[in-house]
Amino acid sequence: NPIYDSKSPNASNLKISRMDKSCGSVLGGDEIFLLCDKVQKDDIEIRFYEEDEEGGWEAFGDFSPTDVHKQYAIVFKTPAYHSAEIERAVTVFLQLKRKKAGDSSDPKQFTYIPQIQDKEEVLRKKQK
Amino acid sequence: NPIYDKKATTTSQLKMGRFNQYRGSCIGKTEIYMLCDKVQKDDIEIIFRRGSWKACGEFAQTDVHRQIAIVFKTPPYQEQDITEEVEVSVVLRRLSDQMESESVTFTYLPHNPDPYEVKRK
Repeated sequence: NPIYDSKSPNASNLKISRMDKSCGSVLGGDEIFLLCDKVQKDDIEIRFYEEDEEGGWEAFGDFSPTDVHKQYAIVFKTPAYHSAEIERAVTVFLQLKRKKAGDSSDPKQFTYIPQIQDKEEVLRKKQK
Repeated sequence: NPIYDKKATTTSQLKMGRFNQYRGSCIGKTEIYMLCDKVQKDDIEIIFRRGSWKACGEFAQTDVHRQIAIVFKTPPYQEQDITEEVEVSVVLRRLSDQMESESVTFTYLPHNPDPYEVKRK
């Protein structure tokens, strides 16, 4: 068994403590404040994903190293969902993931909300 | 001159970073995520001020995350029937030595957006 230095940020467990929002637009771009256990600003990513039989989907939160505050908080923008045309809310997962080691935190849920569309337009598109 | 240990959380300068929002209802209870420099969870308060009015942000020690972020709820503004936005100052203050950070502006929004009802009163 490998022995980890639990005080080194590279070996400690990743954990998401709290987020200020757990839902946002299907188009992405919502700013989220995420509080977490110790991370390295240049070796961390926020992975949004969905697992299904067709292989699933993943996309990454948008932030720069300066958006990582004192190793314990990250301010980032949500990625767009793979389809902008969803008819009802879709819940996916997100997790912290270290780029180098590839290990990740337990997931949290995030819900994508459909764009407000006028129903006639939707019906017209369906008829085509 | 006294010599301060800049790294000690009991004497270091207090500093606020980003808030997730800078506006909220005059009723209060808006949840704010505030990033800050190192604070002691049992020795810090968040003060809202305007003129002679003063109130504190509400949080428990468990809402202080790793000394660098505080999740708190805004206090209600002194008046609940404001018809226009009101700007107030927010500062971090250490209880033990009453040191304060620089201030950040927070805007209280009217609760009742219906001007007719206000006129009726």
